[in-house]
Amino acid sequence: MGQVISLLKVEKVTVKYGVIPAIQELELEVERGQIVALLGANGAGKTTTLKTIMGVLRPARGRIFYDGKDITFLPAPQRVRLGVALVPEGRGIFNRLTVRENLLLGAYHRKDQGGILQDLEEVYRLFPRLKERENQIAGTLSGGEQQMLAIGRGLMSRPRLMLLDEPSLGLAPLVVRELYTLIRRIRESGVTILLVEQSAPMAIGIADYVYVLETGVVKIAGTPREVESLEEVKKVYLGG
Amino acid sequence: MFSLSYFLQQSMNGIILGCIYALLALGMTVVYGILRLINFAHGALITLGAFFMYFVFFRLGLPFVAALFLVLGFGGVMGLVLDLVAYRKLRGGPEVALLITSLGFYTFIENFTKLIVSPQPYAFKTPEFLATLYRTPYLTFRTVDVFIILSSLLIMLAFHFFVKRTKLGIAMRATAENLEVANLMGIEVNRVISVAFVLGSAIAAFTGFLWGAKYGQISYDMGFLTGVKAFVAVVVGGVGSIPGAMLGGFVLGLAEILSIAFLPTRFAEYRDGIVFAILVLVLLIRPSGIMGIREEVRV
Repeated sequence: MGQVISLLKVEKVTVKYGVIPAIQELELEVERGQIVALLGANGAGKTTTLKTIMGVLRPARGRIFYDGKDITFLPAPQRVRLGVALVPEGRGIFNRLTVRENLLLGAYHRKDQGGILQDLEEVYRLFPRLKERENQIAGTLSGGEQQMLAIGRGLMSRPRLMLLDEPSLGLAPLVVRELYTLIRRIRESGVTILLVEQSAPMAIGIADYVYVLETGVVKIAGTPREVESLEEVKKVYLGG
Repeated sequence: MFSLSYFLQQSMNGIILGCIYALLALGMTVVYGILRLINFAHGALITLGAFFMYFVFFRLGLPFVAALFLVLGFGGVMGLVLDLVAYRKLRGGPEVALLITSLGFYTFIENFTKLIVSPQPYAFKTPEFLATLYRTPYLTFRTVDVFIILSSLLIMLAFHFFVKRTKLGIAMRATAENLEVANLMGIEVNRVISVAFVLGSAIAAFTGFLWGAKYGQISYDMGFLTGVKAFVAVVVGGVGSIPGAMLGGFVLGLAEILSIAFLPTRFAEYRDGIVFAILVLVLLIRPSGIMGIREEVRV
Protein backbone atom coordinates (compact mmCIF):
# COMPACT_ATOMS: atom_id res chain seq x y z
CA MET A 1 0.00 0.00 0.00
CA GLY A 2 1.51 3.30 -1.08
CA GLN A 3 1.85 5.98 1.48
CA VAL A 4 -0.34 9.03 0.93
CA ILE A 5 1.80 12.06 0.12
CA SER A 6 0.85 15.10 2.16
CA LEU A 7 0.14 18.32 0.30
CA LEU A 8 2.85 20.19 2.14
CA LYS A 9 5.86 18.90 3.95
CA VAL A 10 8.42 21.14 5.58
CA GLU A 11 11.53 19.16 6.38
CA LYS A 12 14.09 20.41 8.92
CA VAL A 13 13.99 23.95 7.58
CA THR A 14 16.21 26.64 9.05
CA VAL A 15 15.81 30.25 7.97
CA LYS A 16 18.20 32.97 9.06
CA TYR A 17 18.05 36.73 9.06
CA GLY A 18 21.74 37.45 8.77
CA VAL A 19 23.28 35.03 11.25
CA ILE A 20 20.30 34.89 13.56
CA PRO A 21 18.03 31.92 12.90
CA ALA A 22 14.34 32.85 12.81
CA ILE A 23 13.23 29.24 12.55
CA GLN A 24 15.30 26.17 13.23
CA GLU A 25 14.95 22.62 11.94
CA LEU A 26 11.27 23.19 11.55
CA GLU A 27 9.15 20.14 10.71
CA LEU A 28 5.60 20.56 9.60
CA GLU A 29 3.09 18.64 7.53
CA VAL A 30 -0.27 19.56 6.07
CA GLU A 31 -2.60 16.88 4.70
CA ARG A 32 -5.03 17.51 1.88
CA GLY A 33 -8.33 19.05 2.95
CA GLN A 34 -7.11 19.89 6.43
CA ILE A 35 -7.00 23.11 8.35
CA VAL A 36 -3.72 23.19 10.18
CA ALA A 37 -3.18 25.88 12.79
CA LEU A 38 0.25 27.31 13.47
CA LEU A 39 0.27 29.15 16.78
CA GLY A 40 2.84 31.08 18.71
CA ALA A 41 3.68 34.37 20.31
CA ASN A 42 5.01 37.40 18.51
CA GLY A 43 8.43 36.64 17.06
CA ALA A 44 8.03 32.89 17.27
CA GLY A 45 8.70 32.58 13.56
CA LYS A 46 5.18 32.06 12.22
CA THR A 47 5.32 34.64 9.47
CA THR A 48 8.84 33.52 8.56
CA THR A 49 7.52 30.00 8.15
CA LEU A 50 4.74 31.11 5.82
CA LYS A 51 7.04 33.32 3.77
CA THR A 52 9.46 30.44 3.39
CA ILE A 53 6.71 28.10 2.25
CA MET A 54 5.66 30.78 -0.22
CA GLY A 55 9.18 31.28 -1.55
CA VAL A 56 9.69 34.84 -0.39
CA LEU A 57 12.42 33.74 2.01
CA ARG A 58 15.09 31.16 1.27
CA PRO A 59 15.91 28.48 3.80
CA ALA A 60 19.52 28.12 4.83
CA ARG A 61 18.94 24.42 5.33
CA GLY A 62 16.15 21.93 4.85
CA ARG A 63 13.61 21.05 2.17
CA ILE A 64 10.06 21.95 1.32
CA PHE A 65 7.85 19.53 -0.57
CA TYR A 66 4.56 20.47 -2.16
CA ASP A 67 2.43 17.68 -3.52
CA GLY A 68 5.50 15.48 -3.43
CA LYS A 69 7.64 17.89 -5.44
CA ASP A 70 10.69 19.61 -4.02
CA ILE A 71 9.93 23.34 -4.25
CA THR A 72 12.67 24.56 -1.91
CA PHE A 73 14.27 26.79 -4.54
CA LEU A 74 11.26 27.69 -6.63
CA PRO A 75 10.54 31.45 -6.81
CA ALA A 76 7.25 32.72 -5.39
CA PRO A 77 5.47 33.45 -8.70
CA GLN A 78 5.96 29.84 -9.76
CA ARG A 79 4.60 28.55 -6.48
CA VAL A 80 1.49 30.64 -7.13
CA ARG A 81 1.13 28.74 -10.39
CA LEU A 82 1.34 25.45 -8.53
CA GLY A 83 -1.56 26.51 -6.33
CA VAL A 84 -0.01 28.04 -3.23
CA ALA A 85 -1.47 31.37 -2.09
CA LEU A 86 -0.39 33.53 0.82
CA VAL A 87 -2.80 36.00 2.36
CA PRO A 88 -0.26 38.25 4.03
CA GLU A 89 -0.33 39.64 7.53
CA GLY A 90 -1.86 43.08 7.76
CA ARG A 91 -3.80 42.07 4.63
CA GLY A 92 -1.32 43.48 2.12
CA ILE A 93 -4.02 44.60 -0.24
CA PHE A 94 -3.24 47.25 -2.84
CA ASN A 95 -4.73 50.34 -1.23
CA ARG A 96 -4.66 52.51 -4.34
CA LEU A 97 -6.27 49.96 -6.60
CA THR A 98 -9.97 49.22 -6.80
CA VAL A 99 -11.51 46.17 -5.16
CA ARG A 100 -12.02 44.58 -8.55
CA GLU A 101 -8.44 45.26 -9.63
CA ASN A 102 -7.17 43.70 -6.42
CA LEU A 103 -9.22 40.59 -7.05
CA LEU A 104 -8.16 40.31 -10.67
CA LEU A 105 -4.50 40.53 -9.64
CA GLY A 106 -5.07 37.42 -7.57
CA ALA A 107 -5.68 35.64 -10.86
CA TYR A 108 -2.70 37.28 -12.54
CA HIS A 109 -1.02 34.07 -13.64
CA ARG A 110 -4.19 32.55 -15.06
CA LYS A 111 -5.10 32.66 -18.71
CA ASP A 112 -8.64 31.27 -18.60
CA GLN A 113 -10.59 34.50 -18.91
CA GLY A 114 -13.93 32.74 -18.54
CA GLY A 115 -12.84 30.91 -15.42
CA ILE A 116 -11.49 34.09 -13.90
CA LEU A 117 -14.79 35.93 -14.32
CA GLN A 118 -16.63 32.93 -12.96
CA ASP A 119 -14.40 32.88 -9.89
CA LEU A 120 -14.87 36.62 -9.51
CA GLU A 121 -18.62 36.05 -9.28
CA GLU A 122 -17.98 33.23 -6.84
CA VAL A 123 -15.89 35.53 -4.60
CA TYR A 124 -18.59 38.20 -4.80
CA ARG A 125 -21.15 35.59 -3.77
CA LEU A 126 -18.97 34.67 -0.82
CA PHE A 127 -18.37 38.33 0.10
CA PRO A 128 -21.38 40.35 -1.07
CA ARG A 129 -19.94 43.54 0.40
CA LEU A 130 -17.02 43.35 -2.01
CA LYS A 131 -19.46 43.28 -4.89
CA GLU A 132 -21.09 46.47 -3.58
CA ARG A 133 -17.70 48.15 -3.35
CA GLU A 134 -16.34 46.70 -6.58
CA ASN A 135 -15.11 49.98 -8.04
CA GLN A 136 -14.12 51.59 -4.79
CA ILE A 137 -10.45 52.18 -3.93
CA ALA A 138 -9.46 49.36 -1.61
CA GLY A 139 -7.83 51.70 0.90
CA THR A 140 -11.26 53.06 1.80
CA LEU A 141 -12.61 49.69 2.99
CA SER A 142 -13.04 48.85 6.66
CA GLY A 143 -10.56 46.52 8.31
CA GLY A 144 -12.90 43.55 8.07
CA GLU A 145 -13.66 44.24 4.43
CA GLN A 146 -9.97 44.53 3.65
CA GLN A 147 -9.38 41.13 5.21
CA MET A 148 -12.22 39.68 3.13
CA LEU A 149 -10.65 41.28 0.06
CA ALA A 150 -7.26 39.77 0.85
CA ILE A 151 -8.81 36.33 1.23
CA GLY A 152 -10.95 36.79 -1.86
CA ARG A 153 -7.88 37.80 -3.80
CA GLY A 154 -6.13 34.68 -2.55
CA LEU A 155 -9.03 32.56 -3.77
CA MET A 156 -8.82 34.14 -7.22
CA SER A 157 -5.60 32.26 -7.83
CA ARG A 158 -7.55 29.00 -7.43
CA PRO A 159 -5.26 27.78 -4.71
CA ARG A 160 -4.96 24.25 -3.45
CA LEU A 161 -3.07 25.42 -0.40
CA MET A 162 -3.93 28.71 1.24
CA LEU A 163 -1.61 30.25 3.80
CA LEU A 164 -3.43 32.69 6.09
CA ASP A 165 -1.24 34.96 8.18
CA GLU A 166 -3.09 36.22 11.27
CA PRO A 167 -6.36 36.95 9.51
CA SER A 168 -8.11 37.96 12.73
CA LEU A 169 -5.53 40.60 13.64
CA GLY A 170 -7.18 43.89 14.53
CA LEU A 171 -10.71 42.75 13.77
CA ALA A 172 -13.71 43.04 16.08
CA PRO A 173 -14.82 39.72 17.67
CA LEU A 174 -18.01 39.63 15.65
CA VAL A 175 -16.09 40.07 12.41
CA VAL A 176 -13.62 37.39 13.47
CA ARG A 177 -16.48 34.93 13.95
CA GLU A 178 -17.76 35.73 10.48
CA LEU A 179 -14.26 35.27 9.13
CA TYR A 180 -13.90 31.84 10.66
CA THR A 181 -17.20 30.73 9.20
CA LEU A 182 -15.77 31.71 5.85
CA ILE A 183 -12.52 29.87 6.42
CA ARG A 184 -14.57 26.76 7.11
CA ARG A 185 -16.50 27.22 3.91
CA ILE A 186 -13.31 27.67 1.95
CA ARG A 187 -12.01 24.40 3.31
CA GLU A 188 -15.28 22.70 2.42
CA SER A 189 -14.79 23.85 -1.16
CA GLY A 190 -11.63 21.76 -1.23
CA VAL A 191 -8.88 24.22 -0.32
CA THR A 192 -6.31 23.11 2.23
CA ILE A 193 -5.48 25.77 4.79
CA LEU A 194 -2.47 26.57 6.91
CA LEU A 195 -3.66 29.12 9.43
CA VAL A 196 -1.30 31.25 11.47
CA GLU A 197 -2.77 32.93 14.52
CA GLN A 198 -1.67 34.53 17.71
CA SER A 199 -5.06 34.19 19.37
CA ALA A 200 -5.49 30.49 19.87
CA PRO A 201 -9.04 29.51 20.91
CA MET A 202 -10.73 30.13 17.56
CA ALA A 203 -7.87 28.62 15.60
CA ILE A 204 -7.75 25.48 17.73
CA GLY A 205 -11.50 25.23 17.41
CA ILE A 206 -11.37 25.10 13.64
CA ALA A 207 -8.17 23.11 13.11
CA ASP A 208 -7.57 19.43 12.37
CA TYR A 209 -4.02 19.64 13.60
CA VAL A 210 -2.10 22.19 15.64
CA TYR A 211 1.53 23.25 15.82
CA VAL A 212 2.83 25.62 18.48
CA LEU A 213 6.01 27.52 17.69
CA GLU A 214 8.32 29.00 20.24
CA THR A 215 11.39 31.01 19.24
CA GLY A 216 11.63 29.30 15.90
CA VAL A 217 11.17 25.74 17.07
CA VAL A 218 8.09 23.50 17.05
CA LYS A 219 7.31 23.17 20.71
CA ILE A 220 4.05 21.26 20.58
CA ALA A 221 2.28 19.35 17.83
CA GLY A 222 -0.94 17.42 18.03
CA THR A 223 -4.64 17.25 17.42
CA PRO A 224 -6.71 20.05 18.91
CA ARG A 225 -7.87 17.78 21.70
CA GLU A 226 -4.33 16.75 22.62
CA VAL A 227 -3.06 20.30 22.49
CA GLU A 228 -5.95 21.78 24.44
CA SER A 229 -5.41 19.45 27.34
CA LEU A 230 -1.80 20.52 27.85
CA GLU A 231 -1.32 22.70 30.90
CA GLU A 232 1.10 25.15 29.26
CA VAL A 233 -1.18 25.69 26.30
CA LYS A 234 -4.06 26.39 28.65
CA LYS A 235 -1.97 28.87 30.56
CA VAL A 236 -0.28 30.69 27.75
CA TYR A 237 -2.67 30.50 24.82
CA LEU A 238 -6.11 29.87 26.17
CA GLY A 239 -6.00 32.35 29.01
CA GLY A 240 -6.56 30.03 31.94
CA MET B 1 1.66 96.58 -22.67
CA PHE B 2 1.38 92.87 -23.29
CA SER B 3 -1.31 92.00 -25.77
CA LEU B 4 -3.69 89.05 -25.72
CA SER B 5 -1.97 87.57 -28.72
CA TYR B 6 1.37 87.78 -26.92
CA PHE B 7 -0.13 85.96 -23.96
CA LEU B 8 -1.65 83.25 -26.16
CA GLN B 9 1.56 82.87 -28.09
CA GLN B 10 3.60 82.41 -24.96
CA SER B 11 1.03 80.09 -23.44
CA MET B 12 1.31 77.87 -26.47
CA ASN B 13 5.07 77.83 -26.10
CA GLY B 14 4.61 76.96 -22.45
CA ILE B 15 2.24 74.14 -23.26
CA ILE B 16 4.70 72.74 -25.79
CA LEU B 17 7.55 72.79 -23.31
CA GLY B 18 5.08 71.32 -20.82
CA CYS B 19 4.38 68.46 -23.23
CA ILE B 20 8.08 67.67 -23.33
CA TYR B 21 8.43 67.75 -19.56
CA ALA B 22 5.24 65.74 -19.12
CA LEU B 23 6.37 63.00 -21.49
CA LEU B 24 9.68 62.68 -19.68
CA ALA B 25 8.04 62.85 -16.27
CA LEU B 26 5.82 59.92 -17.25
CA GLY B 27 8.75 57.55 -17.57
CA MET B 28 10.46 58.91 -14.50
CA THR B 29 7.48 58.68 -12.20
CA VAL B 30 6.74 55.08 -13.14
CA VAL B 31 10.31 54.01 -12.46
CA TYR B 32 10.48 56.09 -9.29
CA GLY B 33 7.17 54.66 -8.11
CA ILE B 34 8.48 51.12 -8.28
CA LEU B 35 12.17 51.41 -7.46
CA ARG B 36 12.43 54.73 -5.59
CA LEU B 37 15.04 55.58 -8.17
CA ILE B 38 15.54 59.09 -9.46
CA ASN B 39 16.64 57.96 -12.87
CA PHE B 40 19.02 60.65 -14.10
CA ALA B 41 19.90 58.41 -17.02
CA HIS B 42 16.37 59.05 -18.25
CA GLY B 43 17.56 62.47 -19.40
CA ALA B 44 20.29 60.85 -21.48
CA LEU B 45 17.62 59.05 -23.46
CA ILE B 46 16.34 62.29 -24.96
CA THR B 47 19.86 63.13 -26.11
CA LEU B 48 20.28 59.68 -27.61
CA GLY B 49 16.83 59.80 -29.18
CA ALA B 50 17.51 63.19 -30.73
CA PHE B 51 20.82 62.13 -32.26
CA PHE B 52 19.44 58.79 -33.37
CA MET B 53 16.64 60.59 -35.20
CA TYR B 54 19.17 62.96 -36.69
CA PHE B 55 21.10 60.07 -38.18
CA VAL B 56 18.30 57.84 -39.39
CA PHE B 57 16.13 60.65 -40.74
CA PHE B 58 18.52 63.32 -41.99
CA ARG B 59 21.63 61.31 -42.73
CA LEU B 60 20.20 57.98 -43.84
CA GLY B 61 17.10 59.63 -45.23
CA LEU B 62 14.63 57.02 -44.03
CA PRO B 63 10.94 57.86 -44.34
CA PHE B 64 9.68 59.91 -41.40
CA VAL B 65 7.28 57.35 -39.98
CA ALA B 66 9.87 54.57 -40.23
CA ALA B 67 12.42 56.81 -38.51
CA LEU B 68 9.95 57.56 -35.72
CA PHE B 69 9.31 53.91 -35.05
CA LEU B 70 13.02 53.22 -35.12
CA VAL B 71 13.55 55.95 -32.53
CA LEU B 72 10.87 54.46 -30.31
CA GLY B 73 12.38 51.01 -30.70
CA PHE B 74 15.88 52.30 -30.08
CA GLY B 75 14.77 54.09 -26.91
CA GLY B 76 13.00 50.97 -25.71
CA VAL B 77 16.06 48.80 -26.25
CA MET B 78 18.28 51.33 -24.48
CA GLY B 79 15.86 51.35 -21.55
CA LEU B 80 15.99 47.58 -21.34
CA VAL B 81 19.79 47.60 -21.50
CA LEU B 82 19.95 50.19 -18.73
CA ASP B 83 17.64 48.13 -16.56
CA LEU B 84 19.56 44.91 -17.11
CA VAL B 85 23.09 46.32 -17.01
CA ALA B 86 22.82 49.15 -14.54
CA TYR B 87 20.00 48.53 -12.13
CA ARG B 88 18.84 44.93 -11.89
CA LYS B 89 21.80 43.71 -9.87
CA LEU B 90 21.36 46.53 -7.37
CA ARG B 91 17.82 45.68 -6.38
CA GLY B 92 17.43 45.06 -2.71
CA GLY B 93 20.47 47.22 -2.00
CA PRO B 94 20.33 50.73 -0.63
CA GLU B 95 18.39 53.20 -2.75
CA VAL B 96 21.34 55.57 -2.84
CA ALA B 97 23.34 52.97 -4.80
CA LEU B 98 20.71 53.12 -7.53
CA LEU B 99 20.79 56.89 -7.50
CA ILE B 100 24.56 57.11 -7.87
CA THR B 101 24.50 54.47 -10.59
CA SER B 102 21.94 56.44 -12.55
CA LEU B 103 24.06 59.57 -12.23
CA GLY B 104 27.06 57.54 -13.35
CA PHE B 105 25.26 56.18 -16.38
CA TYR B 106 23.99 59.61 -17.27
CA THR B 107 27.54 60.95 -17.21
CA PHE B 108 28.82 57.99 -19.18
CA ILE B 109 26.21 58.37 -21.90
CA GLU B 110 26.73 62.12 -22.08
CA ASN B 111 30.49 61.76 -22.44
CA PHE B 112 30.11 58.93 -24.90
CA THR B 113 27.77 61.05 -27.02
CA LYS B 114 30.24 63.92 -26.88
CA LEU B 115 32.97 61.59 -28.08
CA ILE B 116 30.96 60.06 -30.91
CA VAL B 117 29.14 63.10 -32.27
CA SER B 118 30.86 66.28 -31.25
CA PRO B 119 31.07 68.70 -28.37
CA GLN B 120 29.41 71.21 -30.70
CA PRO B 121 25.64 71.39 -30.93
CA TYR B 122 24.06 70.08 -34.12
CA ALA B 123 21.53 72.06 -36.07
CA PHE B 124 18.34 70.01 -36.21
CA LYS B 125 16.12 71.06 -39.06
CA THR B 126 12.42 70.73 -38.59
CA PRO B 127 11.28 68.16 -41.19
CA GLU B 128 9.88 70.12 -44.10
CA PHE B 129 6.29 68.96 -43.86
CA LEU B 130 6.27 70.09 -40.21
CA ALA B 131 7.69 73.52 -40.95
CA THR B 132 4.67 75.16 -42.57
CA LEU B 133 3.89 78.44 -40.88
CA TYR B 134 0.33 79.48 -40.07
CA ARG B 135 -0.67 82.99 -39.14
CA THR B 136 -3.94 83.76 -37.41
CA PRO B 137 -4.89 87.07 -35.75
CA TYR B 138 -3.98 85.75 -32.31
CA LEU B 139 -1.52 83.01 -32.88
CA THR B 140 1.35 82.18 -35.18
CA PHE B 141 2.42 78.56 -35.25
CA ARG B 142 4.05 75.87 -37.29
CA THR B 143 2.80 72.36 -38.04
CA VAL B 144 5.43 71.02 -35.67
CA ASP B 145 3.70 72.76 -32.75
CA VAL B 146 0.46 70.98 -33.55
CA PHE B 147 2.37 67.76 -34.04
CA ILE B 148 4.00 68.02 -30.62
CA ILE B 149 0.77 68.76 -28.80
CA LEU B 150 -1.24 66.07 -30.56
CA SER B 151 1.39 63.35 -30.36
CA SER B 152 2.00 64.12 -26.69
CA LEU B 153 -1.68 63.94 -25.87
CA LEU B 154 -1.95 60.70 -27.80
CA ILE B 155 0.97 59.15 -25.92
CA MET B 156 -0.39 60.31 -22.57
CA LEU B 157 -3.84 58.92 -23.34
CA ALA B 158 -2.36 55.63 -24.49
CA PHE B 159 -0.25 55.43 -21.36
CA HIS B 160 -3.21 56.22 -19.17
CA PHE B 161 -5.20 53.49 -20.88
CA PHE B 162 -2.28 51.10 -20.45
CA VAL B 163 -1.96 51.55 -16.68
CA LYS B 164 -5.69 51.69 -16.03
CA ARG B 165 -7.07 49.04 -18.29
CA THR B 166 -4.49 46.44 -19.19
CA LYS B 167 -3.46 43.55 -17.00
CA LEU B 168 0.20 44.51 -17.23
CA GLY B 169 -0.62 48.13 -16.41
CA ILE B 170 -2.60 47.14 -13.32
CA ALA B 171 0.27 44.87 -12.31
CA MET B 172 2.62 47.83 -12.73
CA ARG B 173 0.58 49.97 -10.35
CA ALA B 174 0.39 47.09 -7.91
CA THR B 175 4.16 46.64 -8.06
CA ALA B 176 4.65 50.34 -7.45
CA GLU B 177 2.51 50.16 -4.36
CA ASN B 178 3.88 46.97 -2.85
CA LEU B 179 6.56 45.02 -4.62
CA GLU B 180 6.62 42.14 -2.18
CA VAL B 181 2.90 41.49 -2.31
CA ALA B 182 2.94 41.86 -6.10
CA ASN B 183 5.47 39.05 -6.12
CA LEU B 184 3.06 36.99 -4.02
CA MET B 185 0.38 37.48 -6.65
CA GLY B 186 2.57 35.68 -9.15
CA ILE B 187 3.59 38.92 -10.84
CA GLU B 188 7.12 38.67 -12.19
CA VAL B 189 8.17 42.02 -10.86
CA ASN B 190 11.43 42.10 -12.79
CA ARG B 191 9.49 41.83 -16.00
CA VAL B 192 7.15 44.60 -14.93
CA ILE B 193 10.11 46.81 -14.09
CA SER B 194 11.70 46.14 -17.48
CA VAL B 195 8.47 47.09 -19.19
CA ALA B 196 8.43 50.35 -17.22
CA PHE B 197 11.96 51.12 -18.38
CA VAL B 198 11.24 50.18 -21.98
CA LEU B 199 8.08 52.29 -22.26
CA GLY B 200 9.53 55.28 -20.41
CA SER B 201 12.72 55.23 -22.44
CA ALA B 202 10.94 54.86 -25.77
CA ILE B 203 8.86 57.90 -24.90
CA ALA B 204 11.97 59.80 -23.80
CA ALA B 205 13.77 59.04 -27.08
CA PHE B 206 10.74 60.26 -29.00
CA THR B 207 10.75 63.41 -26.87
CA GLY B 208 14.33 63.99 -28.02
CA PHE B 209 13.05 64.25 -31.55
CA LEU B 210 10.30 66.67 -30.49
CA TRP B 211 12.90 68.81 -28.79
CA GLY B 212 15.09 68.95 -31.87
CA ALA B 213 12.19 69.64 -34.21
CA LYS B 214 10.91 72.46 -32.02
CA TYR B 215 14.09 74.19 -30.89
CA GLY B 216 16.26 73.44 -33.90
CA GLN B 217 19.33 72.41 -32.00
CA ILE B 218 20.53 69.30 -30.24
CA SER B 219 23.64 68.78 -28.16
CA TYR B 220 25.32 66.06 -26.16
CA ASP B 221 24.34 67.70 -22.85
CA MET B 222 20.75 68.62 -23.68
CA GLY B 223 19.42 65.82 -21.47
CA PHE B 224 20.76 66.80 -18.11
CA LEU B 225 18.81 69.83 -17.03
CA THR B 226 15.80 68.67 -19.02
CA GLY B 227 15.87 65.39 -17.12
CA VAL B 228 16.24 67.12 -13.79
CA LYS B 229 13.35 69.43 -14.60
CA ALA B 230 11.23 66.45 -15.59
CA PHE B 231 11.87 65.07 -12.17
CA VAL B 232 10.89 68.41 -10.67
CA ALA B 233 7.65 68.00 -12.62
CA VAL B 234 7.21 64.58 -11.01
CA VAL B 235 7.64 66.06 -7.55
CA VAL B 236 5.49 69.12 -8.21
CA GLY B 237 2.70 66.94 -9.60
CA GLY B 238 2.94 64.49 -6.74
CA VAL B 239 5.33 61.58 -6.54
CA GLY B 240 3.70 58.30 -7.45
CA SER B 241 0.83 59.85 -9.36
CA ILE B 242 0.88 59.42 -13.13
CA PRO B 243 -1.69 62.14 -13.86
CA GLY B 244 0.26 64.25 -11.37
CA ALA B 245 3.46 63.84 -13.36
CA MET B 246 1.75 65.02 -16.52
CA LEU B 247 0.12 67.93 -14.74
CA GLY B 248 3.44 68.82 -13.13
CA GLY B 249 5.03 68.88 -16.58
CA PHE B 250 2.50 71.36 -17.87
CA VAL B 251 2.67 73.54 -14.75
CA LEU B 252 6.43 73.67 -15.07
CA GLY B 253 6.50 74.35 -18.81
CA LEU B 254 3.92 77.11 -18.57
CA ALA B 255 5.53 78.70 -15.53
CA GLU B 256 8.95 78.64 -17.11
CA ILE B 257 7.88 80.22 -20.37
CA LEU B 258 5.37 82.71 -18.91
CA SER B 259 7.78 83.91 -16.27
CA ILE B 260 10.39 84.76 -18.87
CA ALA B 261 7.75 86.24 -21.12
CA PHE B 262 6.35 88.59 -18.51
CA LEU B 263 9.35 89.35 -16.36
CA PRO B 264 11.79 92.05 -17.48
CA THR B 265 14.22 90.71 -20.09
CA ARG B 266 17.16 90.61 -17.76
CA PHE B 267 15.51 87.76 -15.81
CA ALA B 268 15.41 85.47 -18.84
CA GLU B 269 18.76 83.92 -18.07
CA TYR B 270 17.43 82.82 -14.69
CA ARG B 271 14.72 80.57 -16.09
CA ASP B 272 16.20 77.47 -14.48
CA GLY B 273 16.27 79.19 -11.13
CA ILE B 274 12.62 80.10 -11.59
CA VAL B 275 11.72 76.47 -12.18
CA PHE B 276 13.34 75.40 -8.96
CA ALA B 277 11.77 78.29 -7.07
CA ILE B 278 8.39 76.91 -8.18
CA LEU B 279 9.40 73.53 -6.84
CA VAL B 280 10.24 74.97 -3.45
CA LEU B 281 7.04 77.00 -3.38
CA VAL B 282 4.76 74.12 -4.29
CA LEU B 283 6.40 71.85 -1.75
CA LEU B 284 6.06 74.46 0.98
CA ILE B 285 2.34 74.68 0.35
CA ARG B 286 1.69 71.05 -0.53
CA PRO B 287 4.54 68.84 0.61
CA SER B 288 3.23 65.83 -1.29
CA GLY B 289 2.77 67.71 -4.56
CA ILE B 290 -0.36 68.82 -6.35
CA MET B 291 -1.90 65.36 -6.78
CA GLY B 292 0.36 63.43 -4.49
CA ILE B 293 -0.67 60.60 -2.24
CA ARG B 294 0.77 61.00 1.21
CA GLU B 295 3.52 58.47 1.64
CA GLU B 296 2.81 55.96 4.34
CA VAL B 297 5.69 55.43 6.66
CA ARG B 298 7.59 52.45 5.35
CA VAL B 299 8.29 49.95 8.06
